[in-house]
Amino acid sequence: MHNAIKKGWAARGREWRTGWAFALPGLLLLAIVMGFPLAYACILSISSMTLIKPQLLPLVGFKNFASMIGDELFWNALWLTVRYSAVTVVGEFVIGLGIALMLNRTVRMKPVYFAVLTIPMAMSPISVALIWRMLLQPNLGIANHLMEISGLPRLDWLGTPGMALWTMAAIDIWQQMSFVVLILAAGLAALPRDPYEAAEVDGARGWQQFLYITLPMLRPVAAITIIIQLINEFRTYDLPYVLTKGGPGNATEVLSFFAYRRAFLGLSLNEGAAAAFVLLLIVLLLTVIFFAVLERSQSGEGRK
Amino acid sequence: MTWNKQTLIKMLMTAVSGAAVVGASLPARAAEPITLHALMEDVPETKIIEALLPEFEKQTGIKVEFEKIGYPDMHDKLVSQLTAPQSYYNVLEVDFLWAGEFPAAGWLADLKPFVEKSKYDLSPFIPSTLDLLGRTEDQLFLVPMYNYSMGLLYRKDLIGDEKLKAAYKTATGKELALPTTLEDYVAISKFMKANAGVAGAAMQGQRGDPNSMEFSNYLFSAGGSYLNADGKASLDTAEAKKALDLYVDNIQHGAQQGAVSATLDDTMRLMCSGSAFSMVTYWWMLPQMDDAVKCPTVAGKVGLSVMPGGHGESGGWGWGIPKNTSPEEQEAAWTFIQWVQSKDVSVKRALEGHAPVRSDVYADAAVLAKYPFYKTAQDVVATGKSFPIFTYSAQYEDLLGTQLSLAAGGQATSDAALKAASDGLQGLLDK
Repeated sequence: MHNAIKKGWAARGREWRTGWAFALPGLLLLAIVMGFPLAYACILSISSMTLIKPQLLPLVGFKNFASMIGDELFWNALWLTVRYSAVTVVGEFVIGLGIALMLNRTVRMKPVYFAVLTIPMAMSPISVALIWRMLLQPNLGIANHLMEISGLPRLDWLGTPGMALWTMAAIDIWQQMSFVVLILAAGLAALPRDPYEAAEVDGARGWQQFLYITLPMLRPVAAITIIIQLINEFRTYDLPYVLTKGGPGNATEVLSFFAYRRAFLGLSLNEGAAAAFVLLLIVLLLTVIFFAVLERSQSGEGRK
Repeated sequence: MTWNKQTLIKMLMTAVSGAAVVGASLPARAAEPITLHALMEDVPETKIIEALLPEFEKQTGIKVEFEKIGYPDMHDKLVSQLTAPQSYYNVLEVDFLWAGEFPAAGWLADLKPFVEKSKYDLSPFIPSTLDLLGRTEDQLFLVPMYNYSMGLLYRKDLIGDEKLKAAYKTATGKELALPTTLEDYVAISKFMKANAGVAGAAMQGQRGDPNSMEFSNYLFSAGGSYLNADGKASLDTAEAKKALDLYVDNIQHGAQQGAVSATLDDTMRLMCSGSAFSMVTYWWMLPQMDDAVKCPTVAGKVGLSVMPGGHGESGGWGWGIPKNTSPEEQEAAWTFIQWVQSKDVSVKRALEGHAPVRSDVYADAAVLAKYPFYKTAQDVVATGKSFPIFTYSAQYEDLLGTQLSLAAGGQATSDAALKAASDGLQGLLDK
């Protein structure tokens, strides 16, 4: 008996060691590529480090955060980011879901549609921005040429303060939508057929099936898609960098671009890191809230 | 898998032999010839030098590779290399706007010892081009590369057009001629937009470097300045207000559609396509516009003058060597700098449209025979004034550019924009 217990412990110990041996390289890699930069950025945000005086000490506590919160440009950037993210995520989801539903019913040439839809996603955001910058060039771009031959007025897409942010959002939706389509289409394909067959027997119409079967069953996939896109959009940097440099005025200066300006144009790595940390906290908070709401709605559903 | 001594010894031996193989390959790498890497602005000057690089390689065996990108991306890309343990770029093209920041951050090697060791003669360089790049008695961080003073490029055919002349006389009571004041220039620009079927001015209003550089011409021409005699910010003055009001008027009523978000490239394309009457820009853009292959619509029709009002923005680029490179790379970089700024190479470059920084090149007979307008160019250089150069020049450019963009887009009054720009400048000067 005593020997059997001993053998069991030894076997468990070997298993434990083997498990760690397999996991350790991955964990170390994670610590290096994720943990270290995060920790360093955290220290930077409370340090006095600038590019002109590259020294961490003295630590200044929350001074960098306080100076940022007192800056009206920060609040402008935050508000722009919230509006931009909301519009792009809703746009991507609504259009993406529509296309995914259409593809779900399509039988012929499905791979071709998917291949075409993947093209924008495969392009780098910088290339996308450069292409759209040329297309939207007010004098020589094709967009205004098409407007003109359609009898519509030529527009200054990226130079009009009230229009620039939404032009950028439209470009973003164009590129990111394909990711949403692919995820939702996969989700739709995985849905069981039985509830639909039962609904058809009960005489449910198409929109009723969509509303009472498809949407509830798709909720976990939709939630994941929305949260991934929300995080993506909150971090948007490439598009304003190439398209507008945050202008005209401050009309497209979203939070990531604000952080970049603080760090590299203002030469204040500490303030840039503080802005980046605020961005991280907002995204984390959004993620936690979103999952909490999702879990609650699912557990509520389970009790019914 | 069991962990015993044998396994550990095997792993250790494998790691040691792996390291030995890697180590053995290092001496072979060190023996490779040096290649100089430079991040260069994608402008004609870069292409002119690039075409001559095979000569340098043939003479010295040192290979030079240019990575060409647009100006707005250069600063960040350089800073990330200069703050790294070792810089990939081992010879630097440095804008005068960074001539305060880079040495203050300790990123550049002092070139004075190189000059003394090689007995390099700096006397042919126009003194203002050295001063612009922060030369002091004790230290020299940058050797002038080329200047980019700004002047007015205008369409000679349009200003000489009889129908337009008559229409202008009827509309304003004045003769249509090359403007000599800022007010006249903006008036003609608006007139051309309304009557000549072209934009009166191809303007680069994107916030940051494009609009800050462009506005500086208006400021200096209106008699304003960034700093007063005591070195304090002085943008909330009547002259600055006049300059900004005229700038906003021109960008809203004289310039091309989309001017508020346009860059230098946009304005070049517009002028080249024959869709603009004028452009406040770097004087060395003239040979590009005169190129019948690249710009057939306007070749031979474009003239150069000093900025109406008498003073334009003056700037320049210099060559530097990063501190975080090896001594061998630094020696190779210095060899390259001496070669590229020598009289012979400078003349060759000038014959292709280079903007010289050496006085002996402006006086060269072959250069003047090919480009008679170099006389006007010398005036443009001589009358140019500089953007404030200090540690935070790049940040100030961004701050000023934001205020100009707000004013140009009608989101801020000129008074409010100038006050914010002036306070911002003083804040950075005090930092």
